[in-house]
Amino acid sequence: MASQTIASSMQPTDVYGGDEVSAIILDPGYSSVRAGFAGEDTPKSFVNSHYGVADGRSVFGDDAIHNPLAGLEIRNPMSKEGIVEDWDTATQLWEYAITSRLTSFKQSDPRTNGLNDDSKDIDIEMEGVDEGEKALEEHPLLMTETAWNTTKNRERSIEIAMESWGCPAFWLARNSVLAAFGAGKATALVVDVGASTTSVISIHDGLILKKSIQKSPLAGNWLSSQLRSLFSTTEPKVDLIPHYLISSKTPVDAGAPAQAVYRKYENNIPESFRALEEERVLTEFKESVVQVWTGPGRLGSANPAGTTNIDYVKAQPGRVFEFPDGANQMWGVDRMNVAEGMWDEKAALPVPGEPPVTKAQTIPEMVRASIGAVDMDLRAALLQNIVVTGGTSLVNGFTDRLHNELTAMYPGARIKIQAAGLTAERRFGSWIGGSILGSLGTFHQMWISRKEYEEFGANVVEKRCK
Amino acid sequence: MPPFRDEHILIIAPGSQTTLAQLGLPESFTPAANRFPTRMFLAPDGKTYEPYKVRSRKRESAATNGAGDVDMSGTANGEGKEQEDEEELIEYPEDDEDAIYPLKEGRIVDMPAFFAFLQHIHNTLSPTLHTPVMLIAQPAWTAKNHEDITQFIFEKFRTPALCIMDSALATSYAFGIAHATVVDVGFGKVDVTAITDFQISSRGTVPHSGGEAMTLRLQELLKSQGFTRDMAEQLKKSPICEVLSPGVPLPGTEVAEEVISNPAAAASTGATASGPSVKITEAPRIPALEVDVGEDEFGNGDDKAIEDDGVLDVASIVASGKTQEFLAKKEKEKAERSAARKATKEREAAEAAAARPQRLPNSKRPRAMFHYEQAATPNKRQKTPEPVTTIEESAPVAIGEAAPTEDVPAAAATAAEATGVDQQRTQKKDARRKIWEEENPDRVRRDIEIGLERFQAAGDGILDAIADTIYRTILSVDDISKRQDAWDALVICGCGSRVRGFKEALLTILNNRYLVSPSSATMFMSELPSNLATPSGTGSMTPNASFSSTPHPPPTASAVNPLLLAATTSQNPALNPSLQASYNGGTQTHSSHSQSPTSIKTVSPPSYFPEWKQYEEAVFLGSQVAAKTIFVVDQGISKGFLSRVEFNEEGPSAIHQVGLVY
Repeated sequence: MASQTIASSMQPTDVYGGDEVSAIILDPGYSSVRAGFAGEDTPKSFVNSHYGVADGRSVFGDDAIHNPLAGLEIRNPMSKEGIVEDWDTATQLWEYAITSRLTSFKQSDPRTNGLNDDSKDIDIEMEGVDEGEKALEEHPLLMTETAWNTTKNRERSIEIAMESWGCPAFWLARNSVLAAFGAGKATALVVDVGASTTSVISIHDGLILKKSIQKSPLAGNWLSSQLRSLFSTTEPKVDLIPHYLISSKTPVDAGAPAQAVYRKYENNIPESFRALEEERVLTEFKESVVQVWTGPGRLGSANPAGTTNIDYVKAQPGRVFEFPDGANQMWGVDRMNVAEGMWDEKAALPVPGEPPVTKAQTIPEMVRASIGAVDMDLRAALLQNIVVTGGTSLVNGFTDRLHNELTAMYPGARIKIQAAGLTAERRFGSWIGGSILGSLGTFHQMWISRKEYEEFGANVVEKRCK
Repeated sequence: MPPFRDEHILIIAPGSQTTLAQLGLPESFTPAANRFPTRMFLAPDGKTYEPYKVRSRKRESAATNGAGDVDMSGTANGEGKEQEDEEELIEYPEDDEDAIYPLKEGRIVDMPAFFAFLQHIHNTLSPTLHTPVMLIAQPAWTAKNHEDITQFIFEKFRTPALCIMDSALATSYAFGIAHATVVDVGFGKVDVTAITDFQISSRGTVPHSGGEAMTLRLQELLKSQGFTRDMAEQLKKSPICEVLSPGVPLPGTEVAEEVISNPAAAASTGATASGPSVKITEAPRIPALEVDVGEDEFGNGDDKAIEDDGVLDVASIVASGKTQEFLAKKEKEKAERSAARKATKEREAAEAAAARPQRLPNSKRPRAMFHYEQAATPNKRQKTPEPVTTIEESAPVAIGEAAPTEDVPAAAATAAEATGVDQQRTQKKDARRKIWEEENPDRVRRDIEIGLERFQAAGDGILDAIADTIYRTILSVDDISKRQDAWDALVICGCGSRVRGFKEALLTILNNRYLVSPSSATMFMSELPSNLATPSGTGSMTPNASFSSTPHPPPTASAVNPLLLAATTSQNPALNPSLQASYNGGTQTHSSHSQSPTSIKTVSPPSYFPEWKQYEEAVFLGSQVAAKTIFVVDQGISKGFLSRVEFNEEGPSAIHQVGLVY
């Protein structure tokens, strides 16, 4: 066994192997932060973007923020458009995402932890164990951003990476481009349906076509607001009571009022905490009940049989959802109605306090506008490479409907939709693209090194990362 | 490379408090051969680490060196030499002052100390050079931790192969199940891991829970009685400390809220689990079971039951049957005095019964006696040793035996003399107690009466937080169709779950709060896959216009007999999704009832390991199973471990490519 020749065989033999640099990919979004090492297939660290504040202290991560006893105020450092608003907290949140699962925790005081002593029995210097004060000193960082990120924000990103975390190298990539890479395409039309924003962006040879950027708020959070509208208008009205308020529930007949024993809390629970917990119920509802009318045609339009699609859906069996308080009922056509607004602005339920959905915000119109803004010669290639990504695109029937809508919109064109079958691949599409990019040997020359940053300042990111 | 052999494999399973280790796999897997407290001490030189507290003391000679040499000989170079001065260094194996605990809530907080600790284990067990290492990782360890440990183990232990395996995964190996939700109630935290297809799907942690939180909670509650941490720890481990399921009223308080354990819930559990060989979780009924254990159930001479119960209440024996026999005998002899005597007797008995609580299970008694044992010589600097094994073996038994002597009431004296049996028993108790005292000369006992506090160890929302984390963890399993599988294979392990009633209470909460019952609206309709559009002959599939109101509610709408459902749907598997699932294997279409859980079940432990009685430390059993599989059976074909050659070529980060961590 060649076990004794450590010194030479420890040297990385293959520069293009990629794994040796152990780059970290950080993909922050409105609902979650994904972080992990380049070259892996799923992010090791998946952290809720929401964080809790109590007594001036912030807590991060799902393990900490769901405790009703802590009296947490729930906030989110991201704006409704998916770009960073609160940089201080965002930095902490990302740092938590990285240190909790990827790199080590900070070591104790170097004077007392015995690391700096020339210990006689630790003859081989344990590199990396003696972590300095900075989180990422030995990991290049590849961060994602939205296509509409501001220059100021981009510069801020590199500053944090270089100054606060001590990264040796940095790169900033568009998440839509990475999603295309994740699907194995350099040219693609990326339909990204996330939590806060839905975007449709044309990408050619790994570059965003700026004019083609289309975004709208008709995404996961909007779907939740549709559900809330639905619950408040159905008869009988559905009370959305999250789990933490329930002590125990009793099975009741469908449609019957709930019979549950409720829990009472002495401390005052902020409204934002309740909203977060309600969102968990809504997420379950979206996963198990909501469905997109797959087409052909719209939900409200007539079908060849002479009736409308609504009548057809009504004839189909519905789905039952049991709420945390035990109330349950069958959801028939309504489960499709809530998602119909994404495709047909007239079908959207009015949400109090929000402007009505416009035609330009619907997904088919966004695709039309995006395609229409690019060169004629490119359109065919884009339509053949449509990449669907983002967690909300997992709503049942989404890709079928998209396909039907686009076939109707571009008759004769060849339309091919690429949507990952695995849930994880769809949710982490842009992270996976980053993982692929970060592990490519050819990418290593692209990194913005610390030296470059020191020489040119934060503005280097504008010049290099297009 | 020659194949690995069973007797060479080194298994280390670190925990925040106790680390399990073993060299070699026995023929039939056993609980861990070695248990190390997971702690290190700074050596007097302030740089290296020692497994025991070392103090320097003037003028003492060779004798002390002898005590420590087991470890001295093994540990590396530097430390032995420093002791040659006139200042003698003495090890105190039981002292835990200034101890460094390298793991806190599962995380590695002090890496150098942890390395020294691993080295200590390695030296103690002194394996051969051809020893592959199986290290069980805590879920909280980061990727970087894995790399550092890999590097350390390969470079220091010169091991030919290493496998780092997640502890939850190891537990699922012990049970031999593909899908599981492992709830590991540890010392400072509770880890929840959902496993589907032998892969970790999602994780959650409840910080500041686990066994230590319960101890601290007890200490806090009993502060007024001057409880120390050690006392609280012993109380937690004693059988009188119990976690009551929600809905069970505290003894002495009036029944405020009725237990919602209606038959419908049970039937609904059954309805979805109507396949063969499934066991319906009995958790909701547990309160009812305990009520059944009334006074009449115990016969007169039922020593065992009484001893188990921890109390001997002679008064109630008098009340139940003995009086009658006794009086009958008397009547024959002294008929003339019987009437008067009987009257008095009965009155006495009634009074006694009223004064003393009935012979009740622990959960019904407002107060119970707690026997605290502590070191008799508190002036010796050492405190009570961390109860690793000793307490667990001796304490519960001793308490169970000795308890009856305390409670023999004065009123019972008459009954005792009449039967004579009780007297004998009392003597036996005394004898046993003497034996115990002789065996443990340095321990003294104190009896403390504990009130309702002993039921509140897991109060303060600990159980709620754990239940919520289980729910959240399973709900973040990506594959929706696998979530029910995870619910059906709950494993509650970890030594913190040993607290009496803990598992039952947790299951009751889960059942009460999260179980989705089959809706009356879906019973015969919505379970249909949507591709079956034409109504079938039974008419049950005829579309129904008004979904929300049930037009023909069956008599027990929400509790359709599971057998009936199975019988009526057995001809058409499409009607019954549970049947369908069993036929199609995993290829269930994403049809209607995707909400989970429709049933919650715990896994019954495997019965083919005769050495294993308790499965709280099943992680170690699983690690042996995995070690056998990976090192001996598989021999690295499916990349179960990282070999030295691979490590040399690719460095520590290669650990992520192999093994059973993610």
